[in-house]
Amino acid sequence: MSLLEQQAVLEAPRLGVRTWAHDVYVVFWREMRRFVGQRMRILALVAQPIIWLVFMGNMLQGLTAEFAASALLGTDSYVAFMLPGIVVMTALFAGLFSGMSVAWERRFGFLQKMMASPIPREAIPLGKMAAAAVQGMLQVVIILGLGLLMGVRLATGLPGLVAVLLLSGLFALAMAGFSLALAAVLRTHEALMAVINFFTLPLIFTSDAMFPRAAMPGWLAAIARINPVSWAVGPVRDLVLHGWNWPAIAAGVVALLLVAGLMTRLATRELEKSVV
Amino acid sequence: MAPIIHVEELRKTYPGGVEAVRGLSFQVEEGEIFGFLGPNGAGKSTTIMMLTTLLRPTSGSMRVVGLDPTVNPFAVRSQIGYVSQDLAVDDALTGRENLWLQGNFYHLSPAENRRRSQELLELVGLADRADDLVETYSGGMRKRLDIACGLMHRPRLLFLDEPTLGLDIQTRRQIWAYLEQMKHQFGMTLFLTTHYMEEADALCDRVAIIDQGQIRAVGRPEELKAAIGGDLVHLRLDGAEAQAKAQAILEALPPVRSVQAADGQLQVVVTNGDDAVVPIIQALAQAGVAPHAITVKKPTLDDVYLAHTGKELRAESGSRDEGMQARMRMRRIRR
Repeated sequence: MSLLEQQAVLEAPRLGVRTWAHDVYVVFWREMRRFVGQRMRILALVAQPIIWLVFMGNMLQGLTAEFAASALLGTDSYVAFMLPGIVVMTALFAGLFSGMSVAWERRFGFLQKMMASPIPREAIPLGKMAAAAVQGMLQVVIILGLGLLMGVRLATGLPGLVAVLLLSGLFALAMAGFSLALAAVLRTHEALMAVINFFTLPLIFTSDAMFPRAAMPGWLAAIARINPVSWAVGPVRDLVLHGWNWPAIAAGVVALLLVAGLMTRLATRELEKSVV
Repeated sequence: MAPIIHVEELRKTYPGGVEAVRGLSFQVEEGEIFGFLGPNGAGKSTTIMMLTTLLRPTSGSMRVVGLDPTVNPFAVRSQIGYVSQDLAVDDALTGRENLWLQGNFYHLSPAENRRRSQELLELVGLADRADDLVETYSGGMRKRLDIACGLMHRPRLLFLDEPTLGLDIQTRRQIWAYLEQMKHQFGMTLFLTTHYMEEADALCDRVAIIDQGQIRAVGRPEELKAAIGGDLVHLRLDGAEAQAKAQAILEALPPVRSVQAADGQLQVVVTNGDDAVVPIIQALAQAGVAPHAITVKKPTLDDVYLAHTGKELRAESGSRDEGMQARMRMRRIRR
């Protein structure tokens, strides 16, 4: 019959908002439960940003001896300049690896188990994105604490600190969405790993994270402008070095929410399309 | 009463052009254990995935619990359960947490979730290991846990893809016992696939023999065996010439119903195996044909399978990815 070959109008799950939120929470809970169980992973996630901050921060401190360099950085402390970059980079890693779980679950059958159950499809990416955001924020708290110990003082004080945390959580959420959508399209964790490795470092080095945009050649600055890492680094750096730059914060938040929403749609659609 | 599964002319052709399912039509009645018997690659898993809303058919119609899975997937999902062949339990959680999670996927209330988890842990004999991480479980324990997960929301209809794949005979019998219990206690309908003859024979009320995406025969195991039409005598002879000669002689004998040549031996169907052996040997001896082995047996589902498909039931190799999945599964079973 050709009836089936036409896209049948899919019945929407008849779920209240509470059930829907519950299902997202259940997926989130599983991710967090797995996270807490992996001591080595937590250790590595904590150690990595510390290494970045302490080594890179001190290595390049010499730059600020040059007045011109300080002017470009917007501060005479390279650690203060670097801190937002490390914060966002950490959130980026936390987000980008989120998709690995889906690729892996497809292989060992857990994805199929979730897909055969009546939970709404978007609960799977959303629950995982929320978990990536929380895990990223936990790391960011450690980095910010370390930054304070190294003498960095936020221009916006404690409220700024909370804003930095929320922005990095949102960034991890959006990047997790990107990773999950990729995982849903690529299917295997081998392919996903290759693509993510390909993206990670270029994303960091073509952004404002480590290097002031004012000192970049024109073409690199142009890339940095459209790089999503910059959307998060910009507002975070303003909060650390200068003050409340509301237009930049609003633009960053809107852009990241759009990415998160779009990626959730894409991941959900790809998951619906096929499970095998 | 309307059948709980009604499938007509179901087809699935994968994008690569592989026709996994080629025009299946069958019905499953509420409360029975229905089995798909066939080798790997026969289209069993593909059929289950279409019935459980995980895969869209290329054409054909399906009714599962009275609904079309392609139109009302969510309503179908909440009434059915699915236990895949992948041992899909989360190793990083405890057994109890796996069940708790499953109960939440199916929206059980917290109290009901706790109660059923405990009940099922006891049923499958995992109560004393409930709070250990699944990664410390043996393969048989994982499988029992996975099946318990499928039972959490007490589905009207439970799909099991190769429920005892790779398990030892003792665990296999235990699993058969749980499934029987579900059928009797809750009137649950079970649809399972298997390539184990004994499983189809011991557990299933009705069996469909499936090969290359098509159903070759459906019926109760006894009926299918009876349809062979008698007992079987297998003769092993040297050379095609001797075989052809023997076949001609045997076909003329009164107790012989049919003679079929397969895999270097003759399969002779006779009304009564014990009484037919002596006349067969005598007739062959007179013609100067000497078989070097002769066996008499009651037909099994193996013979039914052979009669309908012309080949022995054996595992066939699938795609590379399927092979990888199978190896991973075995690794998980063996731990």
